[in-house]
Amino acid sequence: MMEIELNQKQTNSTPRSAPAMSDIKSTSDNLDSFFKPAIKQDESLHGLSRPSLSYWQDAWIRLKKDKKAISSLFLVSFILAFSLLGPLFWTVDPNEQNLNMISQGPSFGSEAIIANREMLGELIVDENIPEEPLEEILPLAATESLEVLGTANTVGVHLKWQAVPGAYNYTIYRNEMEPTSISELGVPLFTTEYANELSYIDSLQLEAIPYWYSIVATDGVDEAMTYTSIQVTPKLAYSLDQARAISNDYKLGDSISIGAHPFGTDQLGRDVMARLMTGGRISFFIGFFAPLLYILFGTLYGGIAGFVGGRVDGWMMRFSDFVVALPFLLFMILSYIAFGAGPGESGIVPMMATMVALLWPATARLVRGQVLQLREEGFTQAAQLLGASSWYILLRHMIPNTIGVILVTLTFAIPSAIFTEAFLSFIGMGVAPPNASWGVMSNEGIATMLNTPHELIFPAIFISLTVLSFNLLGDGLRDALDARMRSRE
Amino acid sequence: MAKDIVLDVKDLKVEFDTYGGVVKAVRGVDFQVERGKTLGIVGESGCGKSVTMQSIMGLIPMPPGRITSGTAKLDGLELLKVSPEKARSIRGKEIGMIFQDPMSSMNPTMKIGKQIAETLIVHRGYSEEKALNEAKRLLDRTKIPEAHKRASQFPFEFSGGMLQRAIIAMALACKPKLLIADEPTTALDVTIQEQILDLLKELQTEDNMSIIMITHDLGVVARMADQVSVMYAGQVIESGSVDEIFYKSSHPYTIGLRQAMPVNDEQNSTKLIPIEGSPPDLFSPPKACAYYARCPYAMEVCNKQDPSYTMIGETHRAKCWMQDARAPKNDDLHQAHL
Amino acid sequence: MKKYIFSRVVQGILTVFFIATATFFAMHLVPGDPLMDAKAMTPEIRANLEAKYGLDQPVLVQYSTFMKNMLLGDFGISFTQKNRSVNDIISEHFPVSAVLGVLAILYAALGGILWGALTAKYRNKWPDHVIMVLVILGISVPNFVVAAVSQWATVNLNELAGTSILPVAGWGEFSNMILPAMALGLSTMAYLTRLMRNSMLDVGNSDYIRTAKAKGLKASRIFVQHELRNSVLPLITILGPAIAAITTGGFVVEKIFAIPGLGRYFVQAVQQLDYTVIMGLTVFYGAFLVFMVIAVDVIYGLIDPRIRLAK
Repeated sequence: MMEIELNQKQTNSTPRSAPAMSDIKSTSDNLDSFFKPAIKQDESLHGLSRPSLSYWQDAWIRLKKDKKAISSLFLVSFILAFSLLGPLFWTVDPNEQNLNMISQGPSFGSEAIIANREMLGELIVDENIPEEPLEEILPLAATESLEVLGTANTVGVHLKWQAVPGAYNYTIYRNEMEPTSISELGVPLFTTEYANELSYIDSLQLEAIPYWYSIVATDGVDEAMTYTSIQVTPKLAYSLDQARAISNDYKLGDSISIGAHPFGTDQLGRDVMARLMTGGRISFFIGFFAPLLYILFGTLYGGIAGFVGGRVDGWMMRFSDFVVALPFLLFMILSYIAFGAGPGESGIVPMMATMVALLWPATARLVRGQVLQLREEGFTQAAQLLGASSWYILLRHMIPNTIGVILVTLTFAIPSAIFTEAFLSFIGMGVAPPNASWGVMSNEGIATMLNTPHELIFPAIFISLTVLSFNLLGDGLRDALDARMRSRE
Repeated sequence: MAKDIVLDVKDLKVEFDTYGGVVKAVRGVDFQVERGKTLGIVGESGCGKSVTMQSIMGLIPMPPGRITSGTAKLDGLELLKVSPEKARSIRGKEIGMIFQDPMSSMNPTMKIGKQIAETLIVHRGYSEEKALNEAKRLLDRTKIPEAHKRASQFPFEFSGGMLQRAIIAMALACKPKLLIADEPTTALDVTIQEQILDLLKELQTEDNMSIIMITHDLGVVARMADQVSVMYAGQVIESGSVDEIFYKSSHPYTIGLRQAMPVNDEQNSTKLIPIEGSPPDLFSPPKACAYYARCPYAMEVCNKQDPSYTMIGETHRAKCWMQDARAPKNDDLHQAHL
Repeated sequence: MKKYIFSRVVQGILTVFFIATATFFAMHLVPGDPLMDAKAMTPEIRANLEAKYGLDQPVLVQYSTFMKNMLLGDFGISFTQKNRSVNDIISEHFPVSAVLGVLAILYAALGGILWGALTAKYRNKWPDHVIMVLVILGISVPNFVVAAVSQWATVNLNELAGTSILPVAGWGEFSNMILPAMALGLSTMAYLTRLMRNSMLDVGNSDYIRTAKAKGLKASRIFVQHELRNSVLPLITILGPAIAAITTGGFVVEKIFAIPGLGRYFVQAVQQLDYTVIMGLTVFYGAFLVFMVIAVDVIYGLIDPRIRLAK
């Protein structure tokens, strides 16, 4: 309309005022022809328009941009696949004990020899030396040579040393770290009786790890101030009996190949990787199903409270306030006992039952709030005015608008359930040994933490990584699904 | 007659670095404020009004903000180049500021009296007690009943209107030369709006203070302002006295704003006409006239080159090709929508 | 406000009553009876013991006796350690747990406020990124792992230094408390850091901080008088859950560091099925946690004028 009017009124009027800036003048000649109404494309008025996306498409696009969330998603999938599909490829029995392989570090397959004590030779007693020295020589020197006779293996290590003049007998020490002074030698392994005993076979709980053996001469009462050390790494060896237990064909001197243990073995010689897999199944089972159940219940409860409203809502929320105030862990322990799960019995059922019974109110509160808010929204009221049934409003408006919040809650509930399982198993009220769970494994690992930290560290890493990635995924989902809940990470 | 200018802003340009790129929020703004007078700055949200004021106050966070050019002289003192410490001593003392939403503009956990007293303690070096007494006097001056009792109350115990009075008391505590009022009545009820505007006018006369009244409400401008600058997309597109802006609107945007404003006149009730479309994206502002896309009078030239200012009266100027000698004469501009 | 406190306390008493009832009946649901394990027991001794613990009475009589005793603060006598009353156990071991818990809370709160404020001040710069990575780790690593790993690290550190920098187990000296308190408080500190950061950013973007700047206040004054107080206030609301987390966390930390606290004792009692101790300690812990949460809510109400005056 305006432009048409303008067209009709085009006349050459006298200038009221000249342009103030000089830069226009310089180009004004070229501009003369452009003083006519512009024909505008429609888009210029409304700016750019984007293709419309559904809620989920939009959320997915946003989630994909979140590097932390996506790498967490991959990590979760990986750990899940490890636990669920892993046992198909790694068929080692998680409960099989191998007492020859106690607390071994990670290994990718090795060989063991079959040995016995006799193969290490006889103890050496030098007949040329008297049982007691004839004269006193002080101070005592360190032995000039210390060597290993035969092949050192976990059945025995045969040490031989050269006599020290004036020594009454010798003390043998074994350390797992290189001693740097005589004070670090610690408790003796063995002390010879006579001065002419010049060798010793150590067969005390040997493992295939490096040891430092030290020899100190004594004058019968006090030790010399010097020592001689040698580093020995025994080869893994089976006794003939142990080998025969596997196959009757084995004879002394044969080699046995030992399976790989990528995560090592525990203090009962069980394969840690196989146990991590079965433990993961239990952790994920509890981690998924407990939250699924209590979130479902909480959603229904909160949904009904919010939808019905009024006095019913008031009472329902008062009850949920009451449940919130109950200390969760105490009830866990109570139900563990009440279910008759004595010490050493599995607490999975009471664990799930307590989680479902006590953890729903948070979800109920959240969903109720959401439903109450949605009831006040224009589109819900509009639907009501248009005569839509309660069911229609529930299905069309309430559920689609709350599902995002519920999904985010679920993502955060999973790590907290896994956490709870680990905690309870750790204090002996969850999954009971010999069944594996990450919490049980951590608990067992702590006992041997100082010598073989891998038994604690691997399950601890699995718990932490799983919880970490679910937390990060939850953050990402929350940001992606609802800009209003956006955190500022 | 030489005008007594308190604040003189020239060619102010402000940019912000954001994830999406550089936003040119203010693109060369000029205005002057006379002593004891009120300048109304009008424009829709996002047009750069508030950023302009924050630059003058030294409140632009840098980075991401950046003042790329311009001067702002407060009684000869260059505000844009002072040290942060000096800028701080000017804020609250030489320039007071009041904000849109009184409810969120006060610290919720500090008593009103103490919040006002703070200003006096910092700028005047008053003792705590003296400052508190002065705060009570100031509350009384802004016509808050029972000021003594009110001073020891918390913001949530105040109504919106009362709180805005307290904020005015706070902004005027040190008798500033200039008060910047950023939409001071937008969040208030209409009756309360009237009272607040009356109060501001009264206090202005008492202290001979200048006011910059930022608003998108032309009614407020008509009541309060002596001079008016209309901003659009980070630029002043028309400025002049209140009468010139209202009765000789020379920019299509000003006309559009006026058409969108309800008039309380039963005989002459005209239909409200909204301005179609939305302001341009300031990530990449148009090379030529920023209003081109929404302008009902647009010419081809408007999309080719940015218009410069045309002086229409002594203080009245507009930034529009319609004011160019070569433009087709258009009576609509002055007559059609009065 | 008085009415609010009154209603909360009544609610708390009801909750504790429910916990006590649930505890009692949970114990009675247990298959078998508590004296089953005791070997070589003549019927006379058995009858005497049953009389001593009141097990020969009908369930309802037992229940009312139990509730009466609980009301009087008498928690009974341990099954496994004869002649030791549960009250003795509580008065001997609870102070240890309390000291540890208070230290852990203090450490968590101070650390959380400090790190949170730091991350908010250096938002999106390297200190923020580094601390936030540590925070997410602190939230994700279970406390027993933190305790064990810190113990392991300290053992190695002591070995490396050739002297005992910090003791890794035991109780008594202040130096004994450092490691367990840090392990116990870590996850709470991580939560508080995250909350404090968000709270600081919210407050930093708020209109009243803009007002404070427009008033020409010094940055230090704005930070102390306006930002800090308003940012710390919301943290108080999670102190209730934090106390619960630290109390239950004590169960494992006390076990790992061999601390003679009540938590360790409780876990031990559960493992040995020491019924009276379990019942007594459950009710004690229940009452403690319920009233701590109420205390925190009331304190928050007293501190925040918006709530104090509204109620």
